[in-house]
Amino acid sequence: MVSRAAAAVRTRPRREREQEVLVWPDLVFIEFISALIFSIALMVLSAMVNAPLLNRADPDTTPNPSKAPWYFLNLQELLLHMEPAWAGVIVPTIALVLLAAIPYWDRDTEGQGVWFGTKFAGRLAVFGFTAATLITSLLIIWDGSLHVVWTENIIRGLGLNSDFSWPGGLDWFRNLRGFDTGIPWDSLGFTIGGFTMFADWRAIPLGIPGTTTDPWLLNLNFPSFLSQQIIPVATMVGLPVLFVLFCKALGWIHTRRDIALLIFSAFIGVYLTTTIVGTAFRGQGQDLKPPWDIVVLEE
Amino acid sequence: MANLERAPRKSFNDLIYDLIFKNYVWQSIFRTGYPNTPRNQMLAVATNVFLHLHPTRIHRTHVKITHTYCLGGLSFFMFLGLTVTGVLLMFYYVPSVERAYQDIQALEANVRFGQLLRNMHRWMAHAMIILVLLHMMRVFYTGAYKPPREFNWVVGVVLFILTLLLSFTGYLLPWDQLAFWAITVGTTMVGSAPVLGDESKFLLLGGFSVGPNALIRFYTLHVIGLPLVISIFLAVHFWRVRRDGGLARPL
Ligand code: HEM
Repeated sequence: MVSRAAAAVRTRPRREREQEVLVWPDLVFIEFISALIFSIALMVLSAMVNAPLLNRADPDTTPNPSKAPWYFLNLQELLLHMEPAWAGVIVPTIALVLLAAIPYWDRDTEGQGVWFGTKFAGRLAVFGFTAATLITSLLIIWDGSLHVVWTENIIRGLGLNSDFSWPGGLDWFRNLRGFDTGIPWDSLGFTIGGFTMFADWRAIPLGIPGTTTDPWLLNLNFPSFLSQQIIPVATMVGLPVLFVLFCKALGWIHTRRDIALLIFSAFIGVYLTTTIVGTAFRGQGQDLKPPWDIVVLEE
Repeated sequence: MANLERAPRKSFNDLIYDLIFKNYVWQSIFRTGYPNTPRNQMLAVATNVFLHLHPTRIHRTHVKITHTYCLGGLSFFMFLGLTVTGVLLMFYYVPSVERAYQDIQALEANVRFGQLLRNMHRWMAHAMIILVLLHMMRVFYTGAYKPPREFNWVVGVVLFILTLLLSFTGYLLPWDQLAFWAITVGTTMVGSAPVLGDESKFLLLGGFSVGPNALIRFYTLHVIGLPLVISIFLAVHFWRVRRDGGLARPL
């Protein structure tokens, strides 16, 4: 058995003194120039664009939309599509833990120290990023019911049916909440064994009779549980798995590093898309709007 | 006979050079003149407390701009710039609900370069977040998290979280509508945690909603608590880059 310390030394490349340059001046010079460029650029930016300062804080006047700082808007965007506990806390926590865990899972020392070290790294990165960006955008469009608006407008616009509206039978497909409100849950009720608890999907008793547990443990609202938790979580777990299977089938994945490349790139795609949508495409009531139509009202 | 082996006359440049680098005060600070031999250049790095963050020599692939794009260094540079501008802002700002907003207005209107100072601090904070994210991406795509650098990657993730928290705590301080509601939205998300959600939110705000207690908590975290913590992690981060044998290189 090799100790960790010995392994660490072994995983180091051999020192090549003849390939080394002096930190002074070679590196210090580059650092100085890049710091200079950034100082100047930020100076110019600061001379041209002022930091925002709105009216004095007023707890009685709520701006609509109210937004977190831009770097948390990806989470605020998630909030619109799932249970707040998932969006605000559980998903980011899991994401950070997984991020930190990458090196403990992908330990192969091959391909380090160079950009895109494996044969298909470039393709995996481009595919992961692009596909994730597209799918995330589509999901957001769908959950914003834009497909409903667009279908109605197209059918009316083509003159096929001037007062066409989204068919009631497809209400469950309007958006994520449609699974909660658009399905006739009551008529789906049935019994299992002697228990008739599924007769009412909206209040499946969970608590143990005769004990005082947390109220939310007493009943489970299955339709809302489905739309706010099961479907979002299944999507967040299922899509990455599909990505990996797909790229495996294409023969692009050979090592754990390849999987990491794919998923990390997809993560960056989702991170960016949700941040941009949350920042620039959410207007009053967090409705989807193009950036130029967004005004903030104070209510 | 005159001495033919007189030293050659000094050129003007040499005179200037001696004036700057060979005077008593300069040498008391830096010990040597301008480091113009390899030996002196290494000594300059090794004996200077700031440059000592670096090794004296590094592999030639790592000074190529396209290897790191200077992103880690620039993130750190932003941190330094934010510290300087932040200290200056503290001269003018009092973290009380009565004064905070007025102080910012006064800073912008009455203080020479006050608006510029505030802008610099604001834009540098945004730039730092973007640079840190890009730095993480460069480390990832160059596979530089692999053994023996696993732990430094984890330290990096902590640095990323601390960077976000620093920015978030600073966001409240101007006490305008933007600040107030952004922090209200942000802390409501914290409150939705399945366990200890309300408790963490209460702890963060010092109450049930954003008010004077929240302002003083955010201020204290922003100007001393989090900067201290991030400095410690930065020290570990840089130390580990050196201990892990400099930047990652192919085996
Ligand atoms: C405040 C934030 C941060 C600062 C100031 C910082 C600074 C630095 C600096 C100056 C370097 C030297 C090489 C370079 O410039 O790329 C470095 C390397 C490194 N950083 Fe960071 N960093 C920060 C955040 C992060 C984050 C978020 C991660 C990853 C999640 C990370 C992981 C690493 C790793 C693994 C190395 C070694 C890279 C190699 O060997 O090529 N750092 N960091």
